[in-house]
This record gives sequence, structure tokens and C-alpha cells, in this order.
Amino acid sequence: MMHQDDTSNNGQNDAEGRIGEVTLDPKVQEALGRSLKAHYEDLIKAPIPDKFLVLLAELEAKEQRHDK
Amino acid sequence: MTSDGNASEAAPESFRDRLVAEIPNLRAFAVSLSGSIQNADDLVQDTLLKAWGHADSFTEGTSIRAWLFTILRNTYYSLYRKRGREVQDTDGVYSERVGVAPAQDGAIDLADFRTALAKLPEEQREVLIMVGASGLSYEETAEICGVAVGTVKSRVNRARTRLAELLGIAGASDIGPDRNSMAVLHKGGFVT
Repeated sequence: MMHQDDTSNNGQNDAEGRIGEVTLDPKVQEALGRSLKAHYEDLIKAPIPDKFLVLLAELEAKEQRHDK
Repeated sequence: MTSDGNASEAAPESFRDRLVAEIPNLRAFAVSLSGSIQNADDLVQDTLLKAWGHADSFTEGTSIRAWLFTILRNTYYSLYRKRGREVQDTDGVYSERVGVAPAQDGAIDLADFRTALAKLPEEQREVLIMVGASGLSYEETAEICGVAVGTVKSRVNRARTRLAELLGIAGASDIGPDRNSMAVLHKGGFVT
């Protein structure tokens, strides 16, 4: 999840000891995090194309025929 | 985010139902990775076929999303990367929505963000999406990418820093509703 490691990115005591990595302002990090989710959720909202549902239905039907 | 694929094990769903439930996430990841709706849908189709054919390699009790992302990612790097970004998304899902995305409470404009995201190196973009949006843990992401957790963290950090640079928001004072310096980039949507 997004939040579990946020603290380690804030700086000085990075768990990996990667000193020298630039530390972003927490507000900037939050804004980027929100944008990232907005980007992703916008894509997730798109309806599932029928072709995928048809494909899976066909695969399942084929399997069931084989099982008989 | 909708449901969390890692957790919900309420009703006994068929394997098919579980794949269907993951399609939106697969598409979102595929678009983010390939930068093109058309490539993304081919990629999702290949992923579903492989998942169906190798259903027995899925370990019950583990995240089906992580398993599917692994398949999708491997497929992308072995087959799609070369095609990659030749096909730019000018008529896909993105562009339809780009114009209407509201910049609320001083948030970064979605089109600006996508333009910047597309410029990240793939290894940074993929981990940022997995960890920051798709609900996978750092550990799952590390396993999917075949790298150490520390490497994932480092890539996420670099991705954020690079995004901030690209968006010109190095400091909090740079975030605001009046920022219009990147308006010129709006037209292209999510392209390289």
C-alpha cells in the first residue's frame, strides 16, 4: 500500500541507508501520490471490453467440454 | 481504488470470476507500462490466455493480482517492449478523459502528470504504479520485478523525485491551482 513506507522516504533515517537521495517535501509527495491514484483510478473506471469477457467464457466452456 | 484483490475471499468465486475482477487493474497497469491503450489490451489478452493456461501455477492464498501482474510484466518485456511506444495513445481512453480531468484543490493536472509519468524510465514507472496505485506491497512488487525490496524503495524515491522535477514542483509552494506553465503539454495526453 501507498502509506506503509512513506516515512522511510522522508529522509535522514532511510531504512536502506541510501543517504544522498533527494528528499521531497511531504506535501509534494502527497500531491504526487494523489495524482498517481487519480491516474490509475481513471483507468480502472473504464468499462471492461466485451472481448475479454467473451474470451474467458470461451476458455471456460472449452474446458468444461473437455471435462465431460 | 476499488476492491482489494488481496483480501476479499468471501464467496467461492470461480477462477474466471477472479480473472474478470482483475481486468481493470491489469488494463491500468498495462496502459501505464506500455503507454498505449491498444498495446495494453493486446497485453491484457495475452496475460489472460497465459493465466488460464497456467492456472495451476497460481498458489492459492497468495495475491492473484501479484501473480497476474508478474505474467503481464514478463509478457511486456519479452514481447511488447520493442513495439513499445511507437503507437502513441492519441485516441484511447486517456485522451477522451484528459480534457475533463479537474484540477481540484491545487492538485497536479492529470494530463501534466501523465506526460511526466510517461517520461520516467520503465523500471521506475512500473514500481511507482504497483506500489503507489495498484495496491501491491513493496514485497510483492520486489518479487514481481525480481529485485530486492530496497531496490524497489530506491526506484520509487527516484521516480517521485524525477516526477517532481518534470512537473516543476520541487517545493510545496510550487503546487497550486494557478500553475499553468505546462498547459502547452495538455494536448498530447499520455505520450512520450
